[in-house]
Amino acid sequence: MADRRNGAQSPEEQVRALFEEAESSAAKAFEELVGKPSFGRLLALSAENTAALTRIAFDAVDLLWRNLRLAGRADIVRLSRQLHRNEDKLERVLQEVESLREEVARDAREARDREREEARS
Amino acid sequence: MSVAERVMRFPVNALEYANILLTTDDAAVGVTPKEVVWTHRETTLYRYRSSNRRYAVPLLLVFALINRPDIFDLRPGSSLVEFLLEEGFDVFLVDWGYPDEEDADMGLDEFVCDELDWAVRETLRASGAEELTLVGWCIGATLCAMYCGLDRGSRGRVPVRNLVELTMPIDGRQSRYAKWVGDPELDVERVAELYGSLPGGAIDFANKMLKPVTNFWTTYRRLWDGVQDGNARRESYQPMAKWVGDNPPFPGRAWAEWIELMYRDAGLLRGRVRLRDRLVDLRRIDQSVLVITAGADHIASRPGTMPFFDLISSEDVEHMDRPGGHIGLVAGSAARKELWPEMSAWLAERSEPKS
Repeated sequence: MADRRNGAQSPEEQVRALFEEAESSAAKAFEELVGKPSFGRLLALSAENTAALTRIAFDAVDLLWRNLRLAGRADIVRLSRQLHRNEDKLERVLQEVESLREEVARDAREARDREREEARS
Repeated sequence: MSVAERVMRFPVNALEYANILLTTDDAAVGVTPKEVVWTHRETTLYRYRSSNRRYAVPLLLVFALINRPDIFDLRPGSSLVEFLLEEGFDVFLVDWGYPDEEDADMGLDEFVCDELDWAVRETLRASGAEELTLVGWCIGATLCAMYCGLDRGSRGRVPVRNLVELTMPIDGRQSRYAKWVGDPELDVERVAELYGSLPGGAIDFANKMLKPVTNFWTTYRRLWDGVQDGNARRESYQPMAKWVGDNPPFPGRAWAEWIELMYRDAGLLRGRVRLRDRLVDLRRIDQSVLVITAGADHIASRPGTMPFFDLISSEDVEHMDRPGGHIGLVAGSAARKELWPEMSAWLAERSEPKS
């Protein structure tokens, strides 16, 4: 108890401090490891291979599905893309309509102001 | 607490720990009331409800293409949106949604020239203002800078009065990411083509691998310590954990372009980025600019942001460099007392009062 009053750590606190120190050293070591170009290379190769394997698996399942005359993911993606294209066009038309409407409103406002001024004079 | 007591309490603590982890998805994030103003494809523009709008210049918040913009409004009492509303700002938020395989063809040009441009247009229409303040964070900050630097031809200057850039990457060639994806042998276009849209989980894994021990171990160990000591803060842990784990896919083309732009070419520095044949020249940025960098940011490090100041032509520029990490700087518990009031004061000086 006297030791604790003097600021000394209990055995449990010492264990925790040691553990945290080890954790901090491990964190630094791992950060160094992942910062190495070779690790980057490994990650890049893994990413490419995982992507390719995923694609092969998806395509195989999709082929099977389509041979059963059911809409596969590729069909849904194609449909979604068509919807997106339509949405893009619709958005542009909408913007055009809105700007024309604003233009008409502005012209009408200006014409009204002119008429008022003419009436006053 | 003695060792014996700890052993006795172990089953209860283990249950509590498991409960916190397993109910993380139930945490409420982004709960400040808002209304949908405009939608296009996956993008949604929100306006937050407020009866306290005191400034005429609205704020448009733009987050990265990684993770969700809910970080702006993490939880009641720790929400930047809530704070800005209390300060009297009219706050809008652009949410990129969850792009999927059908959005794989979306590049940075779609995000800057269409989605962001149209979100700005709709913000101005909804607020009735002629100019706004863009607040970008991470990739969102870079997109905002690109938007302001884009040659708009006959459309003239962008209707942006102020530009606030939070932890913005401009040149990532010295970062750890660059060591991973900077190698020309990694065919990013091929990876993007194979995946369509890059799975959010893969992006999250890569982000966590930047600090593997901290992200995969220390976070959970600290939570366990908190549970054991009886001071685990469920209400702050869960929303952040939920946000970190919510990763929308990254559209393939945009990802490949981002890697090239940020980690290989640093085209923004050299003024040779073109979006739809229009040059992005950061010298066009003449707005009032506030740049906030974080001292311990391992994603958008301070040296990777600093070249921005040499490129822009603004006369009113302020730089706040504060201790903290990429996200913690703005979303951490200290931000409400320090950074947010400073940001708000900066914005208030440059946003005229509502008449």
